[in-house]
Amino acid sequence: MKGTALAAVPAIVMRGITKRFPGVVALDDVSLEVAAGELHAICGENGAGKSTLMKILSGVQRPDAGDLEVHGRPVRFRGTREAEQAGIAIIHQELALVDDLPVAANVFLGRERRTALGLVDDRAQADETARLLADLDCTVDPWARTGGLRVGDQQLVEIAKALSVNASIVVMDEPTSALTEAESARLERTIARLRARGTTILYISHKMDEVFRLADRITVLRDGRHVRTVDRVATTPREVTGWMVGRDIAGHDGVRRRLRGDRVLEVRDLTLPWPGHARGRRLDGVSFDLHAGEILGVAGLMGAGRTELLETIFGASDPTWTGSIRLAGRPVRFTHPSEACRAGVAMVTEDRKRLGLFPDLDVAANVSLCSLTKALRNGLLSRSAEEHLVSGPIRATGVKAPGPHAAVTGLSGGNQQKCIIGRWLLTEPRVLLLDDPTRGVDVGAKAELYTLIDGLCRDGLAVLLTSSELPELLALADRIIVLSEGRLTATFDRQEANEQAIMEAATGGARRVDGPGAQVPT
Amino acid sequence: MPSHSRGAGGAPLLRPGEWTLLAAIVAAVVFTALADSNHSYWQRPLDSLRDIARNAALLGIFALGSTVVIIAGGIDLSAGSMIALSGTVCATTMLALAPAEMAGFKPVGPAVVAAGCLASLLAGFLVGTLHAWLVTTIRLPPFIATLATLVGLRSFARALCESTTAAFTPTKSALINVADPFFKAVRDNVWVPVAVFALLAVITWLILTRTVLGRHVHALGGNEAAARLAGIRTDNVKWFAYVFGAMTAALAGLFYVGNESVAAPVNQGRGHELNAIAAAVVGGCSLSGGVGTVPGTVLGAVFLRVVIDAVSKIIKTGADVYEGLIVGIVVVVAVTLAQIGQMARGGRRLLPGALGLCAIPTLAVLGGAVVAMMASPRAGAATGIGAFVLLGLLRRWETRHTAVSAS
Repeated sequence: MKGTALAAVPAIVMRGITKRFPGVVALDDVSLEVAAGELHAICGENGAGKSTLMKILSGVQRPDAGDLEVHGRPVRFRGTREAEQAGIAIIHQELALVDDLPVAANVFLGRERRTALGLVDDRAQADETARLLADLDCTVDPWARTGGLRVGDQQLVEIAKALSVNASIVVMDEPTSALTEAESARLERTIARLRARGTTILYISHKMDEVFRLADRITVLRDGRHVRTVDRVATTPREVTGWMVGRDIAGHDGVRRRLRGDRVLEVRDLTLPWPGHARGRRLDGVSFDLHAGEILGVAGLMGAGRTELLETIFGASDPTWTGSIRLAGRPVRFTHPSEACRAGVAMVTEDRKRLGLFPDLDVAANVSLCSLTKALRNGLLSRSAEEHLVSGPIRATGVKAPGPHAAVTGLSGGNQQKCIIGRWLLTEPRVLLLDDPTRGVDVGAKAELYTLIDGLCRDGLAVLLTSSELPELLALADRIIVLSEGRLTATFDRQEANEQAIMEAATGGARRVDGPGAQVPT
Repeated sequence: MPSHSRGAGGAPLLRPGEWTLLAAIVAAVVFTALADSNHSYWQRPLDSLRDIARNAALLGIFALGSTVVIIAGGIDLSAGSMIALSGTVCATTMLALAPAEMAGFKPVGPAVVAAGCLASLLAGFLVGTLHAWLVTTIRLPPFIATLATLVGLRSFARALCESTTAAFTPTKSALINVADPFFKAVRDNVWVPVAVFALLAVITWLILTRTVLGRHVHALGGNEAAARLAGIRTDNVKWFAYVFGAMTAALAGLFYVGNESVAAPVNQGRGHELNAIAAAVVGGCSLSGGVGTVPGTVLGAVFLRVVIDAVSKIIKTGADVYEGLIVGIVVVVAVTLAQIGQMARGGRRLLPGALGLCAIPTLAVLGGAVVAMMASPRAGAATGIGAFVLLGLLRRWETRHTAVSAS
């Protein structure tokens, strides 16, 4: 090989890659060239074929047709190990970690370090893991049980795992989908470090701001087809989004002012102990009010207590909390979600796959689950009554499904989320708790969810919304409260809120504790 | 993943896999009728039918219980011991209430029989409650909780039997003869267990497909954390599942007493829990929960008994010798066939690498040995060598096929 030719050899060449699954063509004759050392973003809605493309590149799946070249050599991977040997590491969107193993054991899973005696060298693995995690500005203990970590930290472990192989090509499949702004920022620093070493990066993301900040070139996929590849400088986020959805969509530029109704939820001095943890409290003296027809945003970094706050209100956390919660003026203390459900509180959980969806039940059963008594005829469930029952929320939320009895696992993430929101709308709630509802949902569906949530709120629902994306909160919420390490550190009205101020409050920079319901004349 | 829609009212009664199972049952019966040199299916069709029906009904009754537990995401290993305990509780209750009649092999009267049967069902309720308590409150894994009762209940039943016989009869005994005409009638009228099985199947099917509770069972088994967060009282649903499992086993235990005219805690129902689980799995239940149907389990139970009967008819030895072997083979083959389409699509190989290489002689020796014992050593050797050659060719074909597509 000649020196001049070397630089010109692309890191990855894909030609005519086709992959079919029963009933779907996931990839249809996709060709793509990734130059060595570039950061190449792959954009597309869910189901566009991005993940399948990455699985083929990393040897998880084999294409039905097409050729693949890595650093100029034709390859055909029969497993992830072969892809790894070719220098390709992938950070999966869906975490592939063993919950019960310590962090370090996960990082070295399948490539365990050995001592002279051939035993697993846990100490060396832990030291190496600690170094890798430190590179990511992550303070997770290498000996900690992986399943006990929050999603954001688990994702960083996954990234550390990919880094540990010293790959020349790193594929990142929506790496920031579960990360907070701060964690995303430290990931971007890591990416910069990798690029300085000459690593080629394939970056799959929905987030236009990230893509346009990081990428050299952008490839857009739609419905399994290659739409186009462009230089970042030659295009705009709006244009790319348009190619992704096949139409020009307006960015969600804020909502019109809503009318605030009566106070529905009154939280005072909510404190949730955290036994055996240095911080002592998951939530510490949180107070706020929530009104009908209002969206109250909850901002905070991973681990700030957003999910715990919602779970405590919903009766899903340890019943050891102190303080008071009043629902429509009456004090409540739910010890089980079923009580919250009956009282008119609904919660859409953060981790859709783990905590929301029933993969073995069809679409209708997933939607009707909390309101089955409404589908009874003569004391027995009636299929037609159930279909009738769920047709309302399915229409209202705009679920796109082949039919009420289609498999729910066949729907896109956005449609699954709409099913779950529909499930809770059927219970006719007064308070809707939404825990990061647009996580892992594609752009088009995100905009639809925003419109849906806005509409629900206008119909008089009180909405408590958390999000790991600040722009989302800024666009949707009437007011935003900020949690930092379990404490409420600031409350912002929509006019005065901006990313800078919220981040300062979330990182504990600004201490603006204005007492209970600071902005609310009571 | 296959698309498991639920079998709610209006949904098709049988799913594709269940039609296949039905066809397999018919095929097994036809094959036995042709291959059996005594032609017992032709000569004595009613006797054969009665045999299969009784055995299938007895197995099916508590297999339905196991099905509910499995769909709810649990497992009940204690059914066999529950059968023994149920029989013992029934017999000891009757012995305590009517010691003279029991000792003299005389009728004890309907009131005493009813008391005995109710005591058994109550025992089932209590054991189910114990399971649910251990699983939900103590948070034992279901496997551990019911493993403990699998071992413990049989011993408990024996101790109960011995202490009751010591108190009410001259000698302590590990079994109690039951001679009441009620139990004789149950034994002689095979339609009784069949009718009870059919009724129970219909009830279970209604519960699972047409009630809120049944939907909650499916939801619990499919995703327990999500079920709780959807406001389902998961602990209560588990309570129902384990009580249903234990009470169906208790009901089956009464029929075993009738069948054998004796309550024998040492051996009655031994190992039957695994047959029940096997019937459920052959019928399409997934041990990870959330998936399974009543028609599937009914067909699974019938299929197991038909195949066991077929083997005993064709090779003319006691069915009990090969029962376990047959159940094992049927389970492996049924579950393999259910996912063979997936395997082919995923490009998975049956005999990959060193493991595949070692599996070839293992399967050949196993098959050869079974045939040698059932038929003749010569046939066994032929089977073994044949299997070895065929599997070898399959491996070669697989290796080549993968190599071709890889290059």
